[in-house]
Amino acid sequence: MQRARLLFAMLAALLLAAAPAAAQEKQPIRIGAIYILSGAFATYGEFARNGIQLAVDEINESGGILGRPVAFMMEDSQGKANVAIQAARKLVFQENVDLLMGLDSSGVANGIAPVVPELQRPFLITHAASPDVTGKLCNKWLFRNSVNVNQNMKAAALVAKELDARRWTTIGPDYAFGHQSWEFFQKYLKAEKPDVEFMAETAFPKFGAEDFTPFINAVIAAKPDGVLISEWGGDLVNFVRQANNLGFFDQDFELLMTLGAATEVLYALGDQMPEGKWVGTRYWFLGKDTPRNKAFVEAYHKRFGNYPSYNAQNAYAGVYTFKAAIEKADTVEPERVIEAMSGLEVEAPIGTYTIRREDHQALVDGFWGVTKASGDYPIRILEPMRVFAAADITPPPEETGCNLQQTAEQ
Amino acid sequence: MSTFVAALLNSLDIGMLLFVIASGLTIVFGVLGVLNFAHGALYMLGAYFALTAVRWIELPFWAALVIVPFAVAILAAAVERLALRRIYARHPTQALLLTFAFLLILNDAVRMIWGPGYQIIDPPRALTGTFVLAGAVYPLYSLFVIASGAAVGLAVWLLFSRTLIGKRIRAAALDRDMALAVGIDVPRLYTLVFAFGAWLAAFGGALAAPMRALGPAMGDRIIIESFIIVVIGGLGSFPGALLGALILGALHGFGGRWFPQFDIVWPYVGMALVLLLRPHGLLGRSA
Repeated sequence: MQRARLLFAMLAALLLAAAPAAAQEKQPIRIGAIYILSGAFATYGEFARNGIQLAVDEINESGGILGRPVAFMMEDSQGKANVAIQAARKLVFQENVDLLMGLDSSGVANGIAPVVPELQRPFLITHAASPDVTGKLCNKWLFRNSVNVNQNMKAAALVAKELDARRWTTIGPDYAFGHQSWEFFQKYLKAEKPDVEFMAETAFPKFGAEDFTPFINAVIAAKPDGVLISEWGGDLVNFVRQANNLGFFDQDFELLMTLGAATEVLYALGDQMPEGKWVGTRYWFLGKDTPRNKAFVEAYHKRFGNYPSYNAQNAYAGVYTFKAAIEKADTVEPERVIEAMSGLEVEAPIGTYTIRREDHQALVDGFWGVTKASGDYPIRILEPMRVFAAADITPPPEETGCNLQQTAEQ
Repeated sequence: MSTFVAALLNSLDIGMLLFVIASGLTIVFGVLGVLNFAHGALYMLGAYFALTAVRWIELPFWAALVIVPFAVAILAAAVERLALRRIYARHPTQALLLTFAFLLILNDAVRMIWGPGYQIIDPPRALTGTFVLAGAVYPLYSLFVIASGAAVGLAVWLLFSRTLIGKRIRAAALDRDMALAVGIDVPRLYTLVFAFGAWLAAFGGALAAPMRALGPAMGDRIIIESFIIVVIGGLGSFPGALLGALILGALHGFGGRWFPQFDIVWPYVGMALVLLLRPHGLLGRSA
């Protein structure tokens, strides 16, 4: 079914590409998207596809971009950097895409970042949270419109500051994301509340560990006041179920699940997601009361039968980011588009965000809240909810290790 | 004391589940000489069949746990009859490639049928909650997993050592031609053994489903651990699978508790040591 749709989209794109020169102006603007489409994390690619599909259809129904229709094609990164690099080259050199977007994993993002300049296309990251791609690995072709680790952890620290917890520990996946989450959380919370203490006993189960019970027992035995949990996706689902069984959530400590409000996790867990726990996410479908967000949530729910996850919104907003940039530049010429994207203001469901000139990180809001059962929704919702303004959670450009402004002037 | 007991229970919980799955892998290899790459995918199928049985057919979990492994075994028997049977005579790498193809097909089929998202099954009501042993609080369902693993292990051991069919299987494993010569229907036996291996994988999948998130490719992780167990214990050795699984369980249970930073590395260190010092595995016979 999905394959058929993909094939159809590719066929349509090919037919359009083969149209006579007279129709030059009507040739579609082509977007190449690289996400995880197979294996244990395929659900993230699926959400991205839904978001892109919705945005592209909306844009095409209302006259396209600069009068040209938009087409997109997807490639599977398999969660591997070398596969993603090949896919990007194929999209640019064989399929002649004008724009690139995607990436679900920090490892993949860090791997592909140095290759992006050779492709000479704007590349918008919509999921991977690695601080490095808008930090020490940044370059003028690379952008991101999703919350990164720094922003999410700054928001976590602002939540933690007000909790009555002094001794903190963590449970997180044993790769860059888990360790960086803990590192930034310590840095930001220490600055907010100098009397906190970070325990030496931390738990970093391997990514995809399946069995978290030894680690859960260890944390309970260590008797912390607060626990930062940066497990995500299927690992978080496993973790929460096993933690439920062991009475982890009835213990006398505060909990912050940094990606606990991801809808794919909430849908999978249903009633098993405990109530009254702090959870964060990169976009919350009830997070904004704007007409833009309401229209998006309604259209998405009507078409796909569930509430949009952060990955769906980020991909959807990604397409509109390209639209805004091309309209501002009045061309799809890559050099001009990236010029337009730098400092660009985009109106999206998540809110209106600006892509910062210095590091190309979008200034997006962070969402945290306390889990609560609801009669109106099939999943846990956030109540109370806290929306952190981008300005309050985004570290200043000097701290990122990237300054594209300066390089441009030199 | 309670932390030691908790770590011990963790080791047994992880170990016994892996034992059920890995024993299927080692039995199939011991008798058919085929290293079944799709064994993890059969585990996944067990979990997803259980999901369908519980959520959509609304069977009680117990019924699913009994029926699902047989359904997967029947499927595996058909695969053996239609495909695998044709390549026993050829080089073993061809069987490896064929089962790898099945792994890819099953992974994609599961994604197309059940979707790429995460799903869960609730444990049966009688087994929700915890018990306390020597101060350690532990999920009741894990106790059930440990007991089920032990029961399956005992049953398999009795089957091989005490029944006629078990003797025939052992005969066919030792010398296929001789077994044929004395009138044992070896091809049928092979189908049976392959299906039984699948039954064990699927039973493991259904048993694991109430504890672990279901997702496409969930079998890929299990197959690696199963391979490690089989290598440590000895390829084709049934007691070896038990020993290997208990060792791996202990590496996760105790290692994960006190040396969590090495959790990824222990199993591979164990495997490397065994390969260097006892290349045929701890309980394996030299070929």
